[in-house]
Amino acid sequence: MCSRWVVLAFCCLGQLCADQSLKPQTVAPQLATNNPTLTTIAIEKPFCMFDSSLRPNKSYVIYLYAMKESASVISSLVTDNNNKPLNSTFQQTSGGQLGPYKAASFNVPNCASPPKLADVGDVNKVSDILKQYLFRVGDDATCLYDPNFLAVCNPPLAPDTTYRFKYVLVDSTEGIMKDQTLWSDPIKTRRVKLPLKIDTWPGRRSGDMIVITSILSVLMFLLLAGLLASVSSAVMGSEDSSGETRGMSQTIQQSEPRPQLSSE
Amino acid sequence: MAKSHDGIHILQGLLVFGNVVIGMCGIALTAECIFFVSDPHGLYPLLEATENDDIYAAAWIGIFVGFALFALSIIGIVGVIKSNKTLLLVYIILMLITYAFEMASCITAATHRDFLTPNLFLKQMLERYQKSETENNNDKWMTEGVTKTWDKLMLQKQCCGVRGPSDWQEYTSAFRVTHKDADFPWPHNCCVMDARGSPVNLDGCKLGVPGYYNSNGCYDAISGPMNTHAWGVAWFGFAILCWTFCVLLGTMFYWSRIEY
Repeated sequence: MCSRWVVLAFCCLGQLCADQSLKPQTVAPQLATNNPTLTTIAIEKPFCMFDSSLRPNKSYVIYLYAMKESASVISSLVTDNNNKPLNSTFQQTSGGQLGPYKAASFNVPNCASPPKLADVGDVNKVSDILKQYLFRVGDDATCLYDPNFLAVCNPPLAPDTTYRFKYVLVDSTEGIMKDQTLWSDPIKTRRVKLPLKIDTWPGRRSGDMIVITSILSVLMFLLLAGLLASVSSAVMGSEDSSGETRGMSQTIQQSEPRPQLSSE
Repeated sequence: MAKSHDGIHILQGLLVFGNVVIGMCGIALTAECIFFVSDPHGLYPLLEATENDDIYAAAWIGIFVGFALFALSIIGIVGVIKSNKTLLLVYIILMLITYAFEMASCITAATHRDFLTPNLFLKQMLERYQKSETENNNDKWMTEGVTKTWDKLMLQKQCCGVRGPSDWQEYTSAFRVTHKDADFPWPHNCCVMDARGSPVNLDGCKLGVPGYYNSNGCYDAISGPMNTHAWGVAWFGFAILCWTFCVLLGTMFYWSRIEY
């Protein structure tokens, strides 16, 4: 009994694992640290996802469809009644709001020799590796406004919005969909804050400032007190000595350079 | 009689020595403050744009106080040796005025250093860097200063943003108005540059691939020189003032005991 449940559990897990690999995934955060950004999302290309459906001597192409998560209640179909993939564009679906739009079309990635991610540090190879490994949705900021643009337009996404993606395998001669992945997990673009909200209040006074201010204020006070004391003692001393000098004017030498301090 | 003469001589000697030290410190203060005012790191435009450049005001005061200390120390030496009561009184009063100015300089430098927080520079960078529509000439001047300084800082110190490149992604900014996020998630100066001054790999920089963009923030490169500036003015001035306090007290005592 127990063993049967265990086998069933493993089967379910296996199914789940298989299903997990049939969804578009975002690029590993170790490779692309800035993902997703405000208006772009970088997802991995579908390596080895369609291998079971590929037949030799036939040419295939992969289409990427993107839609806002809110559009899934309206329509999430990527093919028409004849199993042909839709040619919807960004403008037609209002940026993925009314349904999925085609964001890209590229060749089937090579499952046998995937790009070596460890080589990404090599300046000469990094361009090719990035191109083969991932696709950046929202990369092209000008194709929407360029009337001469004829290829698949991949305009920037909306900020703070959740999107879902799907890959579709299409036979290029017949133009019919052969396989598709599930819709990816919802991926949300970034949200921005206003710089007005940044608080620039410095907080508490630092210890340096308190020490300097307090000690210097005390010293200044002591100096002024010292000045008052010495002036007043000099004034009082001159009053006393003016009384004495009348009697002792013969003994004092005026031109003596050495000072004579009054004895205490 | 001999003892009081010895006492007088010792006091004179101490006061002369004290004034010599004050004179030398005055010259050192002037030199230090001229060094800071000359802005060797080129960070003044950032302070000017925050409209809180009082640590520079403190350095300017320091230049003149240094000269004054040097001149007054010479007067002091002459006055002590000649025991001239008038000269010493002039010395004491002018020294007190100089003391007050230097005190103001130290306190200003120490206080205004506290205002230079990361958030202040972050807000200024976001609001002014590459701002396209400036309201008046003053705004334009400050914006150009901030933009040039940040560009130079990011290139030379290989840094990005105040705390990191994520500052550009977390907040909207004047830069974001004219540069779309898809092409410029952060300014191109944040990318690792090759010898010709262009990014090594622009896609790697935009995606944030390690090694193709500068991942550390510029705050250390800004706060380091500013701290040195503020603390150099504040604490050296404080040390001079403590020494001057003793010399002044000694001079006042000496002055009050001179007989004509």
